[in-house]
Order: sequence, then C-alpha cells, then structure tokens
Amino acid sequence: MSTDALMIIVIAGLLSTACAVLGSFLVLRRQALLPDAVSHAVLPGIVLIFVLTGQRGSMLTVLGATAFGLICVAGFEWLRRTGLVAPDAALALVFPALFSLGVLGIGTYASGAHIDVDSAIYGDLTFAPLRTVELAGQAVPRSLLITGGATVAVAILVVVLWRPLKASTFDPGFAQSAGLRGRVVSTVLLLAVTVVAVVAFDSVGAILVITFFVVPAAAAHQVATRLSSMLLTAVGIGWASSLLGYRLAEQLDSSIPGSIGLASVMLFALAWLAGRGRGRLGRFLHRGSSRDTTTRTTIPVQQARPSESHATAAPSRDR
Amino acid sequence: MLNWLLNSLPLPYPDAVVVVGTAALGFVAGALGPLLVLRRRAMFGDAMSHATLPGVAIAFLLAGTASPGYLLLGAAASASAAALAMTAMVRSARIAPDAAIGVVLSVSLTLGLVLLTHIASTGDSQQAGLNAYLLGQAAGMVEQDIALTLTLGTIALGCLLVWFRLLRSASFDPGFSAVIGARPWIVDAASTGLLAVAIVLGVRTVGAILMVALLVAPCVAARQLTTTLARLVPLAGLIGAAAGVTGGVVSGKAELPAGPVIVLIATTVAVLAVLFAPRRGVVARSRTAVPATRDAEGAR
Repeated sequence: MSTDALMIIVIAGLLSTACAVLGSFLVLRRQALLPDAVSHAVLPGIVLIFVLTGQRGSMLTVLGATAFGLICVAGFEWLRRTGLVAPDAALALVFPALFSLGVLGIGTYASGAHIDVDSAIYGDLTFAPLRTVELAGQAVPRSLLITGGATVAVAILVVVLWRPLKASTFDPGFAQSAGLRGRVVSTVLLLAVTVVAVVAFDSVGAILVITFFVVPAAAAHQVATRLSSMLLTAVGIGWASSLLGYRLAEQLDSSIPGSIGLASVMLFALAWLAGRGRGRLGRFLHRGSSRDTTTRTTIPVQQARPSESHATAAPSRDR
Repeated sequence: MLNWLLNSLPLPYPDAVVVVGTAALGFVAGALGPLLVLRRRAMFGDAMSHATLPGVAIAFLLAGTASPGYLLLGAAASASAAALAMTAMVRSARIAPDAAIGVVLSVSLTLGLVLLTHIASTGDSQQAGLNAYLLGQAAGMVEQDIALTLTLGTIALGCLLVWFRLLRSASFDPGFSAVIGARPWIVDAASTGLLAVAIVLGVRTVGAILMVALLVAPCVAARQLTTTLARLVPLAGLIGAAAGVTGGVVSGKAELPAGPVIVLIATTVAVLAVLFAPRRGVVARSRTAVPATRDAEGAR
C-alpha cells in the first residue's frame, strides 16, 4: 500500500472517530439528522470567506463555516421554540435555504475558481495527501492536522464531560436537577458537532457527512450494551469502513468517501442482523417501541389508566 | 392550450417554458407538502428525494441512455423503496425514526455517488446531464416536461381530492383512521406514492438536495395563515406556485440556477408567515401577549 493510500485511510479513520463518537450521542438523543443540516448549511460560510479573502481551506474558512453552522442551529432552535413549526419541518426549512445561498454564491462569485459545486458535494479526500503544510521541517497533509486535531479535541471533550453528557443524554431531567448542567452540555455538544461537521465537510463533502456521523453509531447501537462499548464499537466500525471503503473504491474506480460510506452501510446491515433482540441498549429501544404497542393495544381497553396499560403492555413486548 | 399560454406570457419562449414548469411543480409540491409536514415527517421526504439518485444511476446503467423517461421511472422506484425501507426499519422497532432516516439517506447518497462516479469514470458520452439530478437544472426544460408535470400532477392532485377524508384522518388521528377500518399501510402507501410523484417531478428542476424545501416551506407558510386542511392544501399549492413563478422569472433574468432561487423565495415566505401571520404569528402574539403555551396547544 502506498503512503498516499495509507494517509487517506488514516485521515478517513480519524474523521470517522470524531464523527462516530459525537454521532453516538446524537443517535441516543434522537438528533441524528442535525449534522446533515449543519453540513449543508456551512456552504455559504465557505463561499463567503472565499469571496472576501480568496482563501479556501484556511483557518478562516473553518471559522466562516462554523459561523454558518451556528446560524443553522440557531435558526432551527428559534423556529422550534416559536411553537409554530414542528422540529422536523424547522430543520427542513433552514438547511435547504442556507445551502441554496451557498450554491448561488458559488455560481455568482466563485465560478471557475478553485471552489466548485462538485468539490463541495463530493469532498476532496482523494487529493488530501497532496495538499501539505510544513511542520517541523516535514511536509504534512493539512487534512491530517485538522482532522487529527478535531479528533483529539472530541476525545478530550467526551472524557472531561463524560458524566454530564451521559446523564443529559439518557435522563435530561435528572441531569438538570442534579446540577450537571444538561443544557450547557447540550449546547457544547451542538458546538462540537458543528465544528466536526465543518471539518468533515472539507474532506468528504456536504452530503456524506451524515453517513460518517450516523451510520457507525446506529450500527454500534444495534450491538452494544453500554454507552462506553457503543462508542468504542462505533469508532471500530468507522476505521473498518475506512479501510474496506478504500479497497472498494480501488476495485470500482469510484469515489473514495462514497465507497467508505457504502462499506459502513454494509457493516450497519451486519450489525442490524447480529443485534436483533439482544442487549441493554436494545431493550432501551424496545421500551420506546412498547409505547407504540400501548397505543395500539389500548384501543379496546380505553378505560384503563395509561400507567396500567403501559405496565401490562411493556412486559408482553419483551417476551 | 399550453402553446397559447406559453406565447401569451410576456417572456421569451425558453423563459416562459421554465416559468410555467416551475409554477406547475410548485403547486403540486406545495399541495402535497401537508402529507409530510402534518405527520411530522419532513426529513422523511428529504430522504426520499435523496433516494432518487441511485435510481437515476441504476436506470441509466440498465437503459444505457440518459432519456428522462427511464431515469424518472428509476427515480420513482428508488424513492419508493427508500420510503418502504424507512417504514420497515421503524416498524421493526429496533431503531428510532431519525436514525432510520439517517441510515437510508446514507445508503441512497453513498450508492448514488459511487454509481455516478463509476459511470463518470467509464467515460460514457451519454452520461452528461446525470449530475443535474443532484442540484437540478430548470434551464433545460422543454414543453414535454411541462406536459409531464401537468399530467402527473393532475393525477396526483386528483388522488389527493378523492382520498382527502382518508388522508386527513390519518394525518391528524391515526388511531381513529385505524378504528374506522383504514389499514394504516394502505394510507401510508398512498401518501408515499403521491409524494414520490411530486419528488420525481421536482428532482430534475430543483435537484435531489433541495427538493424537500419545495414540499415543506409552502406548507409551513400556509399553516400559519389557515386552520383547516381543506384550505391548507390549496393555499400551500398557491404559495408554492407563486414561489415557482417568481423564482423562474428571477432566475431567468439574473441567469441564476432556478432551484436555489425558488427555495430561497419559498423559505422567505414561510419565515415571514411565521413572523407576521395574523393572530398566530410571533409579532401578533407578542402584541396581544397571549401566553405562548396556550397558543402552542391551539396549534396542535
């Protein structure tokens, strides 16, 4: 395997690590689609910085993109809080508008330059090893530095905030009352998701960011029994799909990020089959589904109190 | 009749084609949007529209030509397959709806990208134009496209009219519609099929990525202005059509891609409606100082 190939796999693996860790929390919090929205919404930020400074892929770009990621999240929160728009519709309203701004900006100001719609959508992971910066006398790919930095930052964040993150994910009410500052932690998580989505956007393009965040995490969710093992499994699946995906791209002569995504989808299918009906997290999910069964089963016995019907319906589902 | 309409517009012929096409599309998508928004499934529609990509690529590989008929058939098939997959994943209760949508989005996009880049690398000269399905291309519209949009759109709106009561009860009270004997899966299949029609009509014009906005934004705007579904559907359609017309004209004049312009206009209308709607809007509510909670309950 050539050095360039190894470099691409390592960058993809590092990116998967950061995405999978944050993605696991998002999947458990039912916010799995947020990175998708953010990754589309950052496009105008990247274009704006390009138009203003002529730079693409500098720290300024990351800042501009993050700003628009935050605008997306803030707009979504505002629409949701008005109570006039359901959360899903709010999300579907905000990100296409921002993405449209970006597409129009590229078409108007930046056409023919180094930034084009294709690289915004497909990403340039393939050429990542070619763009290097000098570090301690050696040429190091810029993506490796940015992605590595983001991964280390995410790891530190999760380790430091482990208890409040865990509490606010599984039991937000408890987290708030126990003084674990659930809301602050949620905001920090959103901020981290935005930054990592921007980093991911640079490597894999707008539309595959969701794959890196959600698929390994959802796969791990199928098999893992504890939060810590879910995170580790998700990271493992991320690295495995980076390796498999690179091989697949070579075989098919096709897009590397796309093939990595395809590999992780295959691993998800395996995990889905393997994890059927097992494990504590599986039962946690079953508890969610038993709510569906209650609404179905309570129709004939509508006199029963909700708590009773829940108590009778839940075990019948588990058996 | 179509000819007469195209000639009577005060626009050059190619622009008139685009404007009539985007207006028809805006109306169909807007009127079908409530099927998504009222059931809180907006992102479900996003996944369905992204799922048209692998269908387009597979149809191209099978048919060997980029003729729109085959490609749209492929798009419809894969959008429906994605909807089926999401429903099955959620029904089997092993995965939350948002994660299921995320996984299906990922399958569609990765498969679509891998197939499209593979097709591009084979250097087939026929493959030009496939990329248009990602971001849309209204400029290439011809009269036949309008005829197709009008025919399929009329059929879809006719179905919506015929099944209106059924879809209404399923949107607001699934339990009730199950009790009166409407099989949930039939209602699901019907509304998914109608949405697939709207999405397939839209992907070539506004693209797979932005299509969801054309379904959601007009409905969100109309929802702020009316309280009954019988008025919501035509109003959302009209708002969609208006966004389509304005977007078509503006993009023609300014030589911008039509899809993003239409989406921005529709979103602006929706945000303005949220802010300034009489009684319900943010501004009206802050003036009369109605407690937000009471109003939110009323909205439900």
